[in-house]
Amino acid sequence: MADNSQSGVMKKETPILEVSNLYVNRSDSSVIEHADFTIHRGDYVGIVGPNGGGKTTLLLALLNILPRTKGTIRLFGQNIESFSDWEKVAYVPQHAVNFDQNFPLAVRELVSLGRVNRSNMGRTLKRNDWKAVDEALDFMGISEIATKRIGQLSGGQKQRVFVAKALVRNPEIIFLDEPVVGVDAETQEKFYKKLSDLNIARGITILIVTHDLTAVFCRMSKVMCINKWVNVAEITEALEPEEVLRKAYGEHFHFVFHGHECRRVFEDE
Amino acid sequence: MNAGGFSKMNELVEVFRLLEFQFFQHALLGGTIAALACAWVGLFLILRKEAMIGDGIAHTAFGGIALGMFLGVNPILTSLLVSILAVLGISYMRRKGLAQSDSAIAVMLAVGFSAGLIIISLAGGFNVELFSFLFGSILTIDQTDLVIVSILGISTILILGIFYKELLSITFDEEDARLMGIPVRPLSLAFNLLVAITIVLSIKVIGVILVVALLVLPGLSALQLNLSFKGTTLAAIGIGILSMTTGILLSALYNVATSGVIVFTAAGIFLFTAIYKRLG
Repeated sequence: MADNSQSGVMKKETPILEVSNLYVNRSDSSVIEHADFTIHRGDYVGIVGPNGGGKTTLLLALLNILPRTKGTIRLFGQNIESFSDWEKVAYVPQHAVNFDQNFPLAVRELVSLGRVNRSNMGRTLKRNDWKAVDEALDFMGISEIATKRIGQLSGGQKQRVFVAKALVRNPEIIFLDEPVVGVDAETQEKFYKKLSDLNIARGITILIVTHDLTAVFCRMSKVMCINKWVNVAEITEALEPEEVLRKAYGEHFHFVFHGHECRRVFEDE
Repeated sequence: MNAGGFSKMNELVEVFRLLEFQFFQHALLGGTIAALACAWVGLFLILRKEAMIGDGIAHTAFGGIALGMFLGVNPILTSLLVSILAVLGISYMRRKGLAQSDSAIAVMLAVGFSAGLIIISLAGGFNVELFSFLFGSILTIDQTDLVIVSILGISTILILGIFYKELLSITFDEEDARLMGIPVRPLSLAFNLLVAITIVLSIKVIGVILVVALLVLPGLSALQLNLSFKGTTLAAIGIGILSMTTGILLSALYNVATSGVIVFTAAGIFLFTAIYKRLG
């Protein structure tokens, strides 16, 4: 099973996101019911579940973009309603890469928008802001396309640009919603590797909605299964992925895992 | 050089001699300020997919002009008031779910324009001055008009400059901007008020019917050039000012309606950039 020692390095067991008894409705139908879980600093969480199971709804509720019916959400120890440290939080939505292809923005300009917030309203970005932009571009390996128009990028480049935009604000937690849809397997794998680097090198807590079960069980520290209810499990040698997933996807799904797949992933590095 | 050439040269000399006249200087200065504000505001409007709000407010402003003429107050000031009320009305209808954006604009356009018609009929019909507000009358801009245009134009340009990055952030991804604590709703409303101000300051220059061209064409042309946001903004402003000054000079040269020539020049530049994009 997974070698998760990498993700565990920075973990300090400090609760960063505490959810209790959360219920969320959308168009009057119940989407999330009785969710209770805690995410700790340095966790790398794969969010899985069938389509329509409530993955995006949960993310939006956690970010206070969608209202909830019941329950409490605490982010960095503050109630989400009164939460004010949004600079610590980054979110890459599912639709991020589906922007208007003709929008006149260069990569560096788009990434710099990550530095725009309430505290610097009405002022131009300073030298240290642009330094952070260039560092984020460098970290994501996209410095050479900094002046390219965002409409001219490949799928893989777009993802990296939007993650750079999220990173440039030096967040402590990042929410990503299916960022690798429609991208080839090799690019996806590189992307997950980059996220692992972020998680390990910077200790950033990551929650990512994905359908890539191999990436989840090989790279991440926790798996969150969502199908109306939410179940979070620590990924350890003892965890039976099939058992966890069957609860979310139902009995008729068949999951194939090979221990050597994870080994192959890490041998390549 | 043949006789035709000489006559063209003479006309050109005549046009440059016009520069010595105060009314022509007023026209160029007022036109440049209006073109700059329109191009910049217009680029954001295009990217927000709200170009029609420009047309809606312009038609509503017509009601304000009629009101000003009826009351004997400067029509630019009354049209400013009515346009701001129209923006607030559109924003209210959207927020309360009374109408979608395009329907709310359509309602305001119709109400404002028909109010103008009623006031005009009460006042005994159209006159020449009203015509100049409908189709612009840049060569009759007087000192007072120029002061109003300058104050409104420079305020608009300053506010756009100050909140440039926030407006870009909201325009590109409203949800993300909201998450970053940027006050999206107040800034969007403020932007729409700038649209109203820009339209009103351009009425004397180009008229309520054609102001939407000055808002949309420079930005559309600049978008064909595949530049960065900064590059596109500068190109839009440059194209706006170029269309304006070329239009004013050409209309003086051939003695035809100035607003028509300005719009035709802007449309010509758009055609040129569109061909450039296809070939490039």
